[in-house]
Amino acid sequence: MGKAYVITSGKGGVGKTTSSANIGTALAMLGKKVCLMDLDIGLRNLDVVLGLDNRIMYDIVDVATGRAKLAQALVKDKRFDDLLYLLPAAQNTDKTALNEEQVVQIVNELKPDFDYVLIDCPAGIEQGFMNAIAGADSAIIVTTPEISAVRDADRVVGLLEQHPLTEEPHLIINRIRTHMMKDGSVMDVDEITHHLGVELLGIVFDDDAVITTSNKGEPIVLQAENPAGQGYRDIARRLEGESVPLMEMKDEVHPSFWQKVTNWFKKG
Amino acid sequence: MHDAAVLKGTNDGYEIILDDQSDLGEALAGLRRLLENLRDQAASGISQAISFDIQTGRRLLAAEDRSKIETIFSDFSSFSVHKVTSDVITKEESNRILEQESVHVIDQIIRNGQEIHIQGDVLFLGKIHEGGKLFVGGNIYVLGDVHGIIQAGYPDLEDKMIIGDVHNAQQVRIGEQYEILDDTNTKISENTVVYVNDLHVLDYGKVESLKQINPKFFNRIGGVING
Repeated sequence: MGKAYVITSGKGGVGKTTSSANIGTALAMLGKKVCLMDLDIGLRNLDVVLGLDNRIMYDIVDVATGRAKLAQALVKDKRFDDLLYLLPAAQNTDKTALNEEQVVQIVNELKPDFDYVLIDCPAGIEQGFMNAIAGADSAIIVTTPEISAVRDADRVVGLLEQHPLTEEPHLIINRIRTHMMKDGSVMDVDEITHHLGVELLGIVFDDDAVITTSNKGEPIVLQAENPAGQGYRDIARRLEGESVPLMEMKDEVHPSFWQKVTNWFKKG
Repeated sequence: MHDAAVLKGTNDGYEIILDDQSDLGEALAGLRRLLENLRDQAASGISQAISFDIQTGRRLLAAEDRSKIETIFSDFSSFSVHKVTSDVITKEESNRILEQESVHVIDQIIRNGQEIHIQGDVLFLGKIHEGGKLFVGGNIYVLGDVHGIIQAGYPDLEDKMIIGDVHNAQQVRIGEQYEILDDTNTKISENTVVYVNDLHVLDYGKVESLKQINPKFFNRIGGVING
């Protein structure tokens, strides 16, 4: 029997969908069977980030209303044979097309067949949010070091305390810019974790490659060297119960003049 | 047969005790008989109006039963009801009094968007995050961390106070007075008493000067005994 995690944040644009795609992919890389469930109905993105948008036949609303069977709607990611699946959101309706019971029913149908069901929650705290948390066993809250994101995360933690899930929520701090955190112009990891009072699951550094890979439909975790990918792979391992130390915050390397000259000679 | 309504003189005037063991109809009939007797006796002597306290013992009267008493009295021009009291209160009322009179210890985190309402005084040990609100009917003693909005004397009692460290709060409110701390130039120390002064304006004082700020409150917490 698998476990269902809802990935949520309150605020939009902090990286819920990117995190869902990357944690899901990283878990599949560890050999786990994962189903990603996109609940951002009307504004679906998870399929695009995974590069599966051209393979969608049916969506979650089709399943909920009985127009399609669950197995028909699941889209398989061919890069991981039989490990990673997507249940896409509908595009032609809105968040009120589903209710909480329908989501619970679908999640319960998925859990016996998968190790992880990751639910990508829409931004906001309306019906879409309520649907997303209804089916989950635990929550992963994504925030960035910006005050506005932390405030919304705080609001979401408060709402989760009112509708407690079986397990305590986890926290991911995304888009960390090392130099800004070091010079104190944004809240640091400890401050955010302490303020929210939620257990820290992992940190992810800001990296341009996250955007370029997302544009190509290849999650960043597939790049072995990338620090952001590393962050997501660590998170997947922690979900699996391993204890992995937090990544260190290294300064971005600015090559010195002589290094540049040496590199230039090396290239030649 | 004993009388269901008995007249008694007290320091404050006259009291009529309605027997709580007898039937209400009987008690009311007794009351009427008593008043008739009094009127007959007083007809010659007393001319001024008399006001009575009605004591109902261990019986709570509903509003309609009270109005029955009023109707009886309306037949006697020189008699009136001062007040109706009883020895018992409803559970609802007693819970309300308990709620209002006790100091509630709160040690939770009040997060962005959450509102907590409490009657009575509060000893606050928790945290109010930015955007969180704590509304309290009585006084608030702050030992925790306040970054949100805190109100004593909710909704409109101006004699309440907030004592403790509120210098990080977004707003402090007492009764209908409020202050946005960003706008004030007052430097609030960590041992502050926030209160409403005689001019009905929010003011800040030191805990040491509590006796001057609110002598009544100071006495209540033991000022008399200590000094």
